[in-house]
Amino acid sequence: MSSVLELAGVSKSFGGLKVIDDVSFAVKRGSRTALIGPNGAGKSTLFNLISGVYPLDAGRIVALGTDITDMAVPKRIGHGIARSFQNIRLMPHLSTLENLMLGEHHRASPWALARGARATANARAVLAQADLDTYPGQVVADLPYGIQKRIEVARAIMARPSILLLDEPAAGLNSSETAELRRMLERLSESGVTLLVVEHDMPFVRTLCDHVVVLNFGRKIFEGTPEEVHRDHGVLEAYLGPAAEIPAGVAHAA
Amino acid sequence: MSGYLAGLLAVLAINIIVAYSVFVPAAAGLLNLGAAGFVLVGAYGAGAMTALFGVPLWLALVLGSLLAGTVAFLISFPILRTRGIYMVLATFAFAEVVAGVLLNIPALGGAAGLSVMAYAGLPLVVPVALCVIGFVAWLMSTRFGLSVRAIHDDENVAHLFGVNLRSTQVAAMTIGGAIGGIGGALLVHQFNFIDVQSTGVLFSIYVLLYVLMGGTQTVWGPLFGAVFFTLAPEALRKLSELDPALKFLESSRYMTFGIAVVLLMMWRPQGVITRTMIERLAGSRKPVAADAGAAA
Amino acid sequence: MQLLQQIINGLMLGGILAFLAVAFTLTIGMLNFLNFTIPALFMIAGMTTWALSSSGSHMFAWGWHWAWAACAGITLAVLASLLIERFTYRYMKARFGDATEHALPLVSSLGFLIVFEHLAMSLWGADPQRFELPFKDSNLRIGGLIFGIPHLTSLFLAVALVALLHWLLTRTRIGRSLRAIAENPDAATLMGVEVQRIVPVVFVIAGSLSGLAGILYAASYGTVTPFMGDAIATDAIAGMVLGGLGNIWGAIAGGLLVGLVKVLAISTFGAEIEKIPVWGLLLVILILRPSGLFGHTKIGKGKF
Repeated sequence: MSSVLELAGVSKSFGGLKVIDDVSFAVKRGSRTALIGPNGAGKSTLFNLISGVYPLDAGRIVALGTDITDMAVPKRIGHGIARSFQNIRLMPHLSTLENLMLGEHHRASPWALARGARATANARAVLAQADLDTYPGQVVADLPYGIQKRIEVARAIMARPSILLLDEPAAGLNSSETAELRRMLERLSESGVTLLVVEHDMPFVRTLCDHVVVLNFGRKIFEGTPEEVHRDHGVLEAYLGPAAEIPAGVAHAA
Repeated sequence: MSGYLAGLLAVLAINIIVAYSVFVPAAAGLLNLGAAGFVLVGAYGAGAMTALFGVPLWLALVLGSLLAGTVAFLISFPILRTRGIYMVLATFAFAEVVAGVLLNIPALGGAAGLSVMAYAGLPLVVPVALCVIGFVAWLMSTRFGLSVRAIHDDENVAHLFGVNLRSTQVAAMTIGGAIGGIGGALLVHQFNFIDVQSTGVLFSIYVLLYVLMGGTQTVWGPLFGAVFFTLAPEALRKLSELDPALKFLESSRYMTFGIAVVLLMMWRPQGVITRTMIERLAGSRKPVAADAGAAA
Repeated sequence: MQLLQQIINGLMLGGILAFLAVAFTLTIGMLNFLNFTIPALFMIAGMTTWALSSSGSHMFAWGWHWAWAACAGITLAVLASLLIERFTYRYMKARFGDATEHALPLVSSLGFLIVFEHLAMSLWGADPQRFELPFKDSNLRIGGLIFGIPHLTSLFLAVALVALLHWLLTRTRIGRSLRAIAENPDAATLMGVEVQRIVPVVFVIAGSLSGLAGILYAASYGTVTPFMGDAIATDAIAGMVLGGLGNIWGAIAGGLLVGLVKVLAISTFGAEIEKIPVWGLLLVILILRPSGLFGHTKIGKGKF
C-alpha cells in the first residue's frame, strides 16, 4: 500500500456554496505533502472532511486501505489519523500533560488513573522529545502562543498516527520557533509518519515538503513538487491575479 | 460536642454531599438548576423505606441513592438533547415535575411532608461525606475525569480524540444524581422530616451558586463552596451576637451572600478555587527536564 | 359556565404572566441572558408602591397617592434594572468559550435576586402585606361571567405594549440597532452601533415591563411579599419557553397558555397538581421542540 490517504471525487457544499469541488489526490506513505492555496480555497474544510467533522456530499476517502468515508469520528484517530488546528484548540483549563494525554486517550481505559508517573510517562517523553521546556503541570491557557501551538502538534503525535494532518502549524511562530517546529516534523517524518500540512509559509513548505497539492475555490488546480508548483502559471494566477498583472520574469523565478 | 455544633456539622456534611452531586455534571459543562430533584427522590425514597417498610437505615441509604441514580440515568437521555440555557431550564423543569409528582402521593404525606423515625447522626453522616469526597476525588483523577473535563472545555475536539460524548455525559449525570440521592437520604434521616417546600427552587439555586462560587475546575472547589456557604452565615450570626450594634450582620446574611456572588462573577467567574491556584500551592510549576534551567 | 369562568380566570392570570414572559423573552432574545432578577424587579415595584402609598409603621410609609407611588415603583424597578446591566451584563465577556460561559450572567442575576429579596425582607419583614388599590374588586359582569378589571387592564396593556415594542423593534432606528446587536454584536459595533449605549435600552424596557406587571399583580390580588416574584416568574419562564425564546408575541401566547393550564388544572384536580401540567409540558417542549410553539430567535453560544 503506497498511499496512506486517498481522496476520490470529494465534494462538499454548505447551503448553496460548493466549498470542495471534486477533489482527488493521494498522499504517499512517508511523504511530506503540503496543501496550499489562497484563503478560502477550502483547505481547512478538507481537513474537517478527513477528520469526519462534516460528512461528504460526494466521493470517498480511503485511509490505510480502509474506506473511512462513513467511519464515526471517534474511531478515526484509532485508525491512524491525527490532526492539529488552525486556531489553537487545546483544552484551556487542562494542564500541558493532560492535553497531551488526550492524544492517547482513545487507547486508554476509562478507569485508569490519569495522574501519577506511570500514566503521564508517555506524555512526559513526548514533551521532552519536543524540547518543550515548559511546565508540565501548568494550565495551558497561561502559556505563550508559540508554546501552545507546539503542544497542539505534540498532542497529535501522542496518538501515534500513521498520517498527521497539520493545519498551519507555523502560523504565528517566530523564526526560531518555526525552525524548531520543522526539526520536530522532520524527526517525525524520519520515524515513518506521513505528513499532510496546510501552510501559507512558502519557505517553510519548500524546506520541509516533497510534494504539494494546490487548491483554489475548492478545486485542485495543481499537484507536483515545490519547484514545479512555483513555476506553474495557474498557481501564480490563483495567488496573484490574471496573467496580465504578473510582471515579466516572475514566472520563471525559482 | 454541643448540640448546636453537632447540628451545624451535620448540615455541613450534607451540603458538601449535595455540592458534589452538582459538581460532577458541572465539571462536564452540564449545569443543573434542579439539584433538589435528585435530593427529593433520595429523601422520599429512603424515608419511605424506613418509615413505611421498616428497611434498615443503611440499606435505605443505598436504595435511595440507587433510585436517584436510576432516575438521573433515565432523564439524562432526553435532557442531553438540550444545550446551554435550554438545558438549565430543562433541569429546572425536571425538579419541578419531581416536586409536583411527590406532592400528589398521599402515602408520602403530600404537601405536609414525610416524617421518619430513623435517625442519621454525625457518626453516619460525616463518614459518608468523607467517602463521597474521596470517591469524587478518585473519579476525577481517572481517565474518565479527564474525559469529563475535556468535554467541558471543547466537546468537538474531545470527540475527535476519541472521547465518547454521550456515555461520558450520561455517566456524569447519573453519578451526580446518585450522590444527590445519598444527600437526600441523609437529609431526611438527620431532620426526621422532608417536604417539597423546603427543598425546592431556592435550595437548587443556592446549591448551584455555591458550587460555582467554589469553582468547578478542581475537586476542592465544591468543598470550599459548601463550607463557606454553610459556615459564613453562622459566623456572621455569632459575630452579631457580640454587640447589639452588629445586629445588621445577622439579618443581612443572605444579602451578603448575594453580593458575594455578584462580585465573584464580576472578578473571578471561574470560582475561588482554580486549577492554577492548586498547581501553585502544590508547587508543581517545574520545568520538564531537570537540567533545563531556562524558563519558557 | 363554571368552565368558562375558569377559562377566563386563567386568561386573566395569563395576562399578568404575559408581561413577565415578554420581559424575559426580550432579554434572552436580544442579549442571550436569562435574567433571574426580573422577579425581583417585579417585587420591587409592587412592594415600593405598597410601602409608599400606605400609612403604617413600616419603612417608607409616606402615605402617597397610589398613582405617584406606582410611578416611583416603576422608576425604582428601572433603576435596579440598570444597576444589573452595569454590574452583571457588562462584565460578561466570553473568555475561553467553554460550555458554562453562557451561565455567568444568569448566576450573577441569581445573586442580585437574593440581594433584592433579602433587602426587602430586612426593610419590611417576610409577612404578606395587604395592598388595597381602589379598583381591586371592581369587575365587569357579562352574562354571569366575571371579568376582573385589573386583570383585563393587564391583558390589554400587555397586548398594547407588545405591539408598541414590535413597532419599536421594526420601525425605529433604535429598534434596528437592537436587532443588529442581537444578531452579531461585533458586526453591529463595526457598523457604528454604539452597543454600550443601546444595550441599556433593553434593560429599561425589561425593568418597566416587570415593574408594571408587579403593580398590576398587586392591584389584582391585593397582597405583596418580598418573595412574590418567585412563583410567578417561574410560571412566566414557562410561558416564555412555550412561546419560543426571543419571540415577543409568542411570549404573550405562552403566558396566556400557562395561566390557562394552571387555573384549569387547579380547578379540576386541586391545588397540589399545578406543577405537573405546567412543568411537564415545559419539559416535553424543551426536549422535543425547543423552539417553542411559535418559533424562537437565534439563541446560543457565540452570540456574545
